[in-house]
Amino acid sequence: MSEHRKPNTEHRNWQPKIIAFLCNWCSYAGADLAGVSRIQYPPNIRVIRVPCSGRINPIFVLKCLQNGFDGVLVSGCYPGDCHYISGNYYARRKFAILKTLLEFIGIEPGRVQFSWVSAGEGEKFAQVVKKVTDDVKKLGPAKRFVKRV
Amino acid sequence: MAAFKIKKKRLKELIDSLTKEYRVFIPVESDGVSSFKEVTSDSHLPTINSHNTDRPPKEIFFPQTETLFTYKEGKISPPEQPNTKYRTPNTDKIAIFGASPCDVKSFSLLDRLFGMERNVAKCSGYKDAYWINRRTNALIFTIGCNYPLSTCFCNWLNGGPFTKEGSDLLLTDIGEDFLVEPCSQNGEEFIKTKGLPIQKAAKVDIKRASTVRKEAESTLSEPVDITSLKEGLDTLWDNPVWNEIAYKCLSCAACSYLCPTCYCFDIQDERAGNARGKRIRVWDSCMFSLFTKEASGHNPRPSSKERMRQRIMHKFNYFVENLGDFGCVGCGRCIRSCPVNMDIREVINTIKNVKLTISNEK
Amino acid sequence: MMRSLENELKECARKLLTEKKVDLIIGYSKSPLPLRSTPCFIREEKDVDSLIFDLTCSNNLATYLQKSKCAEHRKPNTDPTVRMENRCKIGIIAKACDARSIVQLILEKQVKKEDITVIGIACTGILDLKKVSDRLNGKEILNYNPQDDEVLFEGKDFKKALKLSDILCDSCKTCLNPDPSVYDSFIGEPVSGAKTEKQEPMTELENLSFGERWEYFEHEISKCIRCYACRNACPLCYCEECVVDRTNPQWFGKSTEFSDTFTFHITRMLDTAGRCVGCGACIRACPTHVDLAPLGIKIEKEIKERFGYTAGLSLDATPPMATFNEDDKEEFIM
Repeated sequence: MSEHRKPNTEHRNWQPKIIAFLCNWCSYAGADLAGVSRIQYPPNIRVIRVPCSGRINPIFVLKCLQNGFDGVLVSGCYPGDCHYISGNYYARRKFAILKTLLEFIGIEPGRVQFSWVSAGEGEKFAQVVKKVTDDVKKLGPAKRFVKRV
Repeated sequence: MAAFKIKKKRLKELIDSLTKEYRVFIPVESDGVSSFKEVTSDSHLPTINSHNTDRPPKEIFFPQTETLFTYKEGKISPPEQPNTKYRTPNTDKIAIFGASPCDVKSFSLLDRLFGMERNVAKCSGYKDAYWINRRTNALIFTIGCNYPLSTCFCNWLNGGPFTKEGSDLLLTDIGEDFLVEPCSQNGEEFIKTKGLPIQKAAKVDIKRASTVRKEAESTLSEPVDITSLKEGLDTLWDNPVWNEIAYKCLSCAACSYLCPTCYCFDIQDERAGNARGKRIRVWDSCMFSLFTKEASGHNPRPSSKERMRQRIMHKFNYFVENLGDFGCVGCGRCIRSCPVNMDIREVINTIKNVKLTISNEK
Repeated sequence: MMRSLENELKECARKLLTEKKVDLIIGYSKSPLPLRSTPCFIREEKDVDSLIFDLTCSNNLATYLQKSKCAEHRKPNTDPTVRMENRCKIGIIAKACDARSIVQLILEKQVKKEDITVIGIACTGILDLKKVSDRLNGKEILNYNPQDDEVLFEGKDFKKALKLSDILCDSCKTCLNPDPSVYDSFIGEPVSGAKTEKQEPMTELENLSFGERWEYFEHEISKCIRCYACRNACPLCYCEECVVDRTNPQWFGKSTEFSDTFTFHITRMLDTAGRCVGCGACIRACPTHVDLAPLGIKIEKEIKERFGYTAGLSLDATPPMATFNEDDKEEFIM
């Protein structure tokens, strides 16, 4: 238990690993736009492309934390813009409950974050990644949920 | 054999002296569940309930998760050893203080299965290194049950609240003292250790102990004769009675995980990334449908009926067939822990009655 | 009082069986242990007398309506040619929480309403055996005798009366809907609005810090032995193959390693979000007394706040996780 109370200075060279689940129809394209527009953002994210934010099963998020990712970002289309009409509306309900529960069990709010980023928002995508990375850096390496093998 | 006694107040001294040579496990209660825990600090004192613990001590010799080996970047290494304050460098010798007679009997039963050399007619022929390593030189202090629970039925299975089978020393609670009787060579030798806080027992103490025992035995319910249960089960494989028995079973593993003689396990690989991981042996239970599910998707034991039948058959038929005794010690934990209050004694009675009906019809 | 309730219950069950309205009655009967009852399955009139109902009837019988758990006893007793449909009609004794579970099972199309006759029963709460045991220092109880607002317990060398309000299950003490939400017949007098004060289920954990909450759950969840009694006792955990049992891919490790165990419990709670009726069956089923309640309570509170839904109250409702509202709050999304 004492381990994750260590001051973050010990991890001066530590860079967080963050997984980003991006919807194919918006945020993934947003990331692409950020790239072609040469917008700088922290290189800490690993992207997994999903067909819709509705595809995200809460288990995915839990497994990421279990497997040692320091943070998780889930990003989909704005309400009303879902390629499949309503996938993100269902997802939003799921995420609300997931987020509440994770915070309740003691996972810091910064670890798991959600955003809406459209295909045209390269700038917003970069900002979101920056914010998530900064938040996770402040929190330090994830220890709580990591599987001890 | 000579009998000794020890003041209850001085138990701690005894346990302390044990920790010099052994990893010592004692019954401890936490959050309303009693189980055996290793003594890791001087503050530990055993919780003595005068009946068996909620979790059986089998997990000392046969832990729920056993690491068989770990691997890292192609190199395989043995599991890390447990590290405790009291562990002397060259010993993994285990002492259990305060096991109840039924649990100690379960060790003897599992000895036959896991291939310990003991004088028994039947054994499995398989040798389990993990069991044998821990079990060899283990010293077992049994505390008899002054107050058996209403769920106890050890007397159905040739056991009793003060039987000695498998014990090295048997302790009987006689008020301010425990009467200590060595009942094996190891026990005899241990009692000779210098500086133990024990003294010779007087005749009064021995008499007191025998009264206590008689009293305890009298509180157990009248045993049901199960000598022909094995033969009975031979004929009942297809009997519809299994439906009746299994209706209410929820197929959870509370009964088998808390059973002192259930030993089924699964081998699993746990990975951390691609380069690092371990192979583990974990408890498994015949009550799970996954237990027998085949790669094709077919499951030979699809419903609780087949699974319940398996559990009963294993304990009261196959175990007898293969290892020469019933695979049950009558501890009653399955009765206490069942979420739907299935009572194995009722199951046995139901089976007996069915058998009787069948033979009467013939 | 209890006796007459039981008589009424038996009469009702007998009538249903004689009139052939049902083939099977799922109820409670005495268990050999004091303070316990056990589910029973009655097909014949002559067995009706074994039905009981008292403070010990803790199981949620709706569990037995699940397909996977009742393949066998759903088989019709009568000749299938006599019955037009090869379906078993079931009469089930339902406390308020059992009835809520039945509503959910019907909503989720796990059972057909017309196959089920719900015998609603007035329930003022059931005993929490852990609380009783804690208050009696773990001494074995051999007999008990319920009085008005006390229960008298007897063991080998003690007799002690405990206040009923101290030994009822938490889920009963905070039960906001103590009368069955659906029933075909009702036994006893409705209890809602009666003497007991009901408080909203709350969990003190909410006031703690992240670290403290984590420590709490770390302690609780490490007691789990992965027997899955919680899952199997839950009336709403009816997946034919539970995700924890999946092997390809295998989502969960099988050991009692903490993160695997906790992920299992969180996943189960998320799967029952908006469906959990708060019956407490999972908590009572646990042989090692893992406190799962805060997880469930927290989720149900959130569901109520966000989506205005309480599970199991109405047959016309849409489960909240199977629908959406365009205006759902999204304050947590960037």
